[in-house]
Amino acid sequence: MGFVEYPVPDEIHFLCLLHNIGATSFDRSLSVEEISRWAAMEPENVRQNLEKLISGSYVSVSSGKYYITTSGIIKVLSMYS
Amino acid sequence: MTLEFPGAPAFEDVDGAKVHRVRIELGNPDFVTWTFIFNHFIEKKVAALSRVVGFDLIHVHDWLTAPAGLACKHFLNKHLVATVHSTEVGRAQGLHSPNSYLIDGLEWWMTYEGERVIVCSHSMKSELVDHFRIPPEKITVIPNAVDSSQYETVVDREAVKRRYGMEAHDKIVLLVGRLVPQKGVEHLVNAVPSIVQNNSDAKFIIAGDGWSRNHLENLVRTTRHGDRVRFVGFVSDSELVELMAAADVLVIPSIYEPFGIVALEGMAAGVPVVAANVGGLTEVVDDGKTGLLFNARDPQSLSWTVNKVLSDPACSDWLIRNAKKKVQAYSWSATARRTVETYELALGG
Repeated sequence: MGFVEYPVPDEIHFLCLLHNIGATSFDRSLSVEEISRWAAMEPENVRQNLEKLISGSYVSVSSGKYYITTSGIIKVLSMYS
Repeated sequence: MTLEFPGAPAFEDVDGAKVHRVRIELGNPDFVTWTFIFNHFIEKKVAALSRVVGFDLIHVHDWLTAPAGLACKHFLNKHLVATVHSTEVGRAQGLHSPNSYLIDGLEWWMTYEGERVIVCSHSMKSELVDHFRIPPEKITVIPNAVDSSQYETVVDREAVKRRYGMEAHDKIVLLVGRLVPQKGVEHLVNAVPSIVQNNSDAKFIIAGDGWSRNHLENLVRTTRHGDRVRFVGFVSDSELVELMAAADVLVIPSIYEPFGIVALEGMAAGVPVVAANVGGLTEVVDDGKTGLLFNARDPQSLSWTVNKVLSDPACSDWLIRNAKKKVQAYSWSATARRTVETYELALGG
């Protein structure tokens, strides 16, 4: 018997992607354009996902560049342990 | 050797354990590919260290570092010990994707190559013997442990309740865990109406975070008891101790649980534990003695055990007393001693 089926939300997939491409600290923060290239997503779509994650305090922004917070890293790690 | 973490030093000596945190110099959007890149940087670090350090044995934990462990075993020509904390087939309740098959293969590979395999419970041992066909004599069961002294603090329960917006007479039903399907949190949510019907003072605190959180918060709203359930997110170790000490019952509704360390923590903190009858939980919790077990995925069975503990102080006290005695057996010194014995076996001692 499997688990109750419900999909992993898009913004969580996106958060994992930010982690995997290395945007895990201020000194490794990335612009929307850079994330857009890594994710093969339209910049507008990237911005929407980032806004959701910022509202949950999982992502921070500084000088137009984005990186995952400690809470965000913990959320990502919850996927895989 | 472990993954870097923001704010943590690249190297530190923790009571004699030399901890190296590996920086990953290359990213990849795909998690499995990222994992192999991470392993490459571990291998690179081990290769550099091996020029100045004489390693005796490689100890690898789970598939996430298995490729590096296997490579190090062969290029250093050293013995390998593998700890399997959980399996992909258990976590995902089956193998449902190409990545799952790859992870399952890596788990088999590390147990095949390891001279010894360590697991945290007899339940996990059975799982490995059944799924990977590992000879049982190759596996050592070493339970997880808890530092009971951390829980021997006097906690002002009313102050804790006030912090969470509760009245002194409210009863706290606590859940602590990652908010992912494996933890079965929805079964507690589905049991809320039945618990409230029998215990009108019951309030629920769900501590932890995970990708299911939004789904669970929406599910809580459908119970019409949303005002009684608080999701408090990730809490610090010290806050967790206070929460556990203030709680009236700790619920562990997991669907898959190789060990269930949160049960041990609850037992050390003196809160009665009610847990699903799965995996390692059935070894930590002796039903009717050190806690109560309920049928996994069964909100009715779950609510019966919660109601029993909340409405029967004598039963609650009995469980707490026995649990405090049992938890003494799960010390870190015992875990360390068994681990060293396993290293000696792997080295041919």
